[in-house]
Amino acid sequence: MLTAALLLPSLLTPGTEPPANAVKLNEPRVEYRDDEASATRRPWIDANGWRILRSPDRTFVYQVNGEAAALAAAEAFSYGAEALISADAPGTNAFGRMLDFLKTVPPVNLPPVADFGVVDDGSDATAELLNLLTRMNLLYKIEKNQDRHFHLNVRLGTKEFPLQEARNPSVAAQKIRSQIGDDNRSLRVYGSEVVIGRLIAGPRQARVFLLNYAPRPALGLRVRIRGAYSQGELRMPGAADAHLADWTQDGPATEFTIPELRVFAVVDLSRN
Amino acid sequence: MPGPYRGIVARVHSESVIDIATERIDQPSVDKMLSAGMKTLTGAKADKDAWSSFFSSSDVIGIKVNCSGAPVIRASPEVVSGIVRNLIGVGVKPENIYIYERFLDQLTSVHYERFVPNGVQIVAIETPPTSLLSYDPKTYVEVSFFGEDDTRSNLARLVTERFTKIINVPNAKEHQASGVTGCLKNLAYGDFSNVARSHMREKTNTLSFIGTLAAVEPLRSKCVLNIMDGIRGVWHGGPFSEEKKYRFYPKLMMFGTDPVAIDRLLLDLIEEKRKAEGAPSLWDRSPNIIDRRAHLDFHKNTFIREPGHIEYAAKNFGLGEYDKNRMKVTSVEI
Repeated sequence: MLTAALLLPSLLTPGTEPPANAVKLNEPRVEYRDDEASATRRPWIDANGWRILRSPDRTFVYQVNGEAAALAAAEAFSYGAEALISADAPGTNAFGRMLDFLKTVPPVNLPPVADFGVVDDGSDATAELLNLLTRMNLLYKIEKNQDRHFHLNVRLGTKEFPLQEARNPSVAAQKIRSQIGDDNRSLRVYGSEVVIGRLIAGPRQARVFLLNYAPRPALGLRVRIRGAYSQGELRMPGAADAHLADWTQDGPATEFTIPELRVFAVVDLSRN
Repeated sequence: MPGPYRGIVARVHSESVIDIATERIDQPSVDKMLSAGMKTLTGAKADKDAWSSFFSSSDVIGIKVNCSGAPVIRASPEVVSGIVRNLIGVGVKPENIYIYERFLDQLTSVHYERFVPNGVQIVAIETPPTSLLSYDPKTYVEVSFFGEDDTRSNLARLVTERFTKIINVPNAKEHQASGVTGCLKNLAYGDFSNVARSHMREKTNTLSFIGTLAAVEPLRSKCVLNIMDGIRGVWHGGPFSEEKKYRFYPKLMMFGTDPVAIDRLLLDLIEEKRKAEGAPSLWDRSPNIIDRRAHLDFHKNTFIREPGHIEYAAKNFGLGEYDKNRMKVTSVEI
């Protein structure tokens, strides 16, 4: 998982069965819930990052059609997954375009950034929590045991995070968010509820992967990365001349705007 | 805000300004109301002197209209065209006058372009909806209400980067969340992104959020004049106006630099109308009136209303005078 950006997804040849032990992933997408009685209609995202992080050594397979194949390829790439993608003809084209782009992204060797740890007991409750944490851009490291480097280690079934409470994973996720503090989060995304980011970073550079699960672009997406970076480079498929806008570096964080995020972006940040 | 005329409101009524049967607005009556209102507010003898006490030829002016009840209830194009004419009269170039609102569909449904000279700019901030491109990433209010992921509301770039002054032109409307939607609400929720997040289920955070947003600089300083278009109004189901039966016709306009003072009078206007119709008070917080189908029944409401947002803005941000005993309201009949 250290060299997450080096693994490229592969297209499964039509008629070929995926390996029997491959983990099947959902089609990445967003599901709007406009019929729910709420003024703020938070959409649901079918994202697979948490599944990949939970089983990093497995092979994954997506069965996707159309443009979802491009998002699936980008998702697998972002999380460093060994992934096979089975797609229809339009999906094969979409995958091909995304793969062409992914090949242009320079490899880096940077560890994933996490703001807290989650002890994975393998339970469904923890799975749901991981899913929600990913969707909320709360960056975690999955642990077998508590890591003392983190101020916060989450283990469901403890006094701090009782199982009863975890039955509503959003309660547990908000509790974690509150304990970290938004200002201390390594990654924040403003302007979309359906963009998920992954951050890898070293002492002098960082890379953020941004996946847009919506079928329409996110316009004016604002990103905040904890850390002082002096420059950034934006790479997006089909947008060779795209640039970051409204760069600010103020105190402990760096912010920038992506004018139009379609499906996927890779932003490389560095310090002088 | 509250500007040079704290606690002062010029309230102008004209029986002839609208034909209720046809909803047709009489432009000459509007022009007379604008003239009387501005002269009464400023004490000037001539229109030009009244307007030039606020604006000069070097200004770039945003006219913040309210179109959330469009196409019927909105800042009347007749009022807006009268404002534009007076601005041009003091030397402001048409291309430096912007009629603006957050959402394009609401704005374009009014067809302001038919009422103003060529060159006047008609601009929606958030095009398409949810785009942050036209908001200033460096000027925002950050707060979490219900655990939402996006905790920022950004101020429009037009306000931070382009306008030198703003004229706020709200309507006289009840609002299911904030109680009424007048000067403060039009300015706050009409110039910032991501504001609907302040309501969820029956709860709304408009009590504190409206004043907080309206007090953000440079919005606060640039808004130098409020002209409330109360020719038509909505007494229930606002800010929208889907049901004609909830419209009424106060036939008035209010002028001031103090948004709190005008909104304080709006509270009385809407409350009196609701009382006359047998509707619950704006201040009624009973759980048993909460119903998401409130637009069908004026005894119900979607949210617990927060009409206290006006007093809150006065007390916590000094945005104006809430105490009627300390206000000076001059009524003019046309």
